[in-house]
Amino acid sequence: MKRYWRIFREFFRTCLVEEMEYRSEFIGNLFSSVFGIGIALLTIQIFFYQTDQLGGWSYADVLVLLGIFNTLQGFIHFALRPNMARITQHIRKGTLDYILTKPVDSMFYVSFRHLVFWRLIDVFLGIGLIVYGLMEKNYVPTSGDVLVFIISLIASLLLIYSLWMMLMTTAFWVIRIEDLSFAFDSFFETTRFPISMYRGGLRVVLTYILPAAFITSAPAAALLGKWNMITTLTSLLVAGIFLWLSRKFWKFALRFYTSASS
Amino acid sequence: MVKKFMALLRMKYIEMFAYQWATLAWSTGAMVQPIITMMVWINIYETEMESFILYFSTLILVERLTAAWDVWDLDRDIREGSFSNYILRPIHPIHWAIAENIIYKGLFLVVLVPAWLVSSFFLPSLQLHLNGWEWMLFISALLLGGGIRFMFSYSCGLLGFWINKVTAVYAMFEGISLFFSGRIAPFSLLPPIMQDISLYLPFRYMIGFPIEVITGSVKGADLGYGFLGAFIWVLIFMGILGFLWHAGLKKNQAVGG
Repeated sequence: MKRYWRIFREFFRTCLVEEMEYRSEFIGNLFSSVFGIGIALLTIQIFFYQTDQLGGWSYADVLVLLGIFNTLQGFIHFALRPNMARITQHIRKGTLDYILTKPVDSMFYVSFRHLVFWRLIDVFLGIGLIVYGLMEKNYVPTSGDVLVFIISLIASLLLIYSLWMMLMTTAFWVIRIEDLSFAFDSFFETTRFPISMYRGGLRVVLTYILPAAFITSAPAAALLGKWNMITTLTSLLVAGIFLWLSRKFWKFALRFYTSASS
Repeated sequence: MVKKFMALLRMKYIEMFAYQWATLAWSTGAMVQPIITMMVWINIYETEMESFILYFSTLILVERLTAAWDVWDLDRDIREGSFSNYILRPIHPIHWAIAENIIYKGLFLVVLVPAWLVSSFFLPSLQLHLNGWEWMLFISALLLGGGIRFMFSYSCGLLGFWINKVTAVYAMFEGISLFFSGRIAPFSLLPPIMQDISLYLPFRYMIGFPIEVITGSVKGADLGYGFLGAFIWVLIFMGILGFLWHAGLKKNQAVGG
């Protein structure tokens, strides 16, 4: 574990050095992130111009939820997405050989080797929005709320990672992976709103089959003091199951990998 | 000229089959955001469910049939210098883009119209009762909208002669257009100030106006004003496009290619 942390820090350092080459892009990137969150906020404003609750969530509640959404999206673009195109390349060109022969776990390596730092702006903007939402609601989370929030957030990050990796692993069979990332984006888009907004069959699917409910709604509810222990433990359990599945799937897929150069 | 254009159409038709699955995947993805937005509105006004289903189904149809991706292609071709290949040919490069648009939108039509007909058995709100005149109005509004959106995208792409981040500029316009084109909400649900602004921006005439024609929410004089607005924007963008094209050719210094 300690070794992996050290390797991750090394990835972090090399990517930071790499990104410093493109410092001049920073202002443009900052602008596009602020613009993005502005659009999202305005959208919420439009909805709340016509109503005062969405699936039982008030305006301030939805702001907290949107903040968490933005934070998680920032993490996806920071650590996961930059590696996507490279996984396909490694498989197609056979350079995955070099990774498999390294004394480091291949799944860990292919998923975190490349980081795009400016995307952390989205994480900070998201955290800012969470704080603003809580101020709007005049609610100070108790230490219990924060603890449950952290647990649900970890579960949520694990879930995102597992779902993402399962999709990426299909790269062993599918070539046009850009289309697959579109599928992930579409799914992730559903977590922009409280799960209670969806009805009937769709809500069941988004809770139990594609666990969107645990991604943003559960952490947001925790921070707002509307948590219960059963949901929190379920989210950890579900995250664990998905992580295990994605791990199994990766191992299974590796068996199908035959180096392209041979 | 007609023969040349037919040849272009045939070429793009064959090209389409190479990318048909990717195209369909992207089109399916493009449906997600409207569907989620529809759910939000159904949640807010439960009794209006039927009309939201009609509105957002039309939105998906109109959005696909007026879709414009030319800015991405132009940005790449100009930056990499391969646009020179098109400039050298004896017909205006825009013909390639027009042919491509006709073929891909034909594909969308072939997929979406049967999908609509099947869905209308289960969702009565999708059964349309339009007379011939109303169909003609809708199709005209749709063609005007498609034209405006296409020229807007192509003009943005031509900006690539001067700046190298045109796709970022275009993405910003797309963000603004979410509100003023009727994609986030039907116009009647927007705050009044935004409804007023939308009348004077091109975005309403790209997507929102054809939807309003089919759902019957613009009538009488407003219908006339809508078509007038659309025509004016067509003329404006024709002017902009022509200007950017001539100015851009002078500026162009074929990099690489």
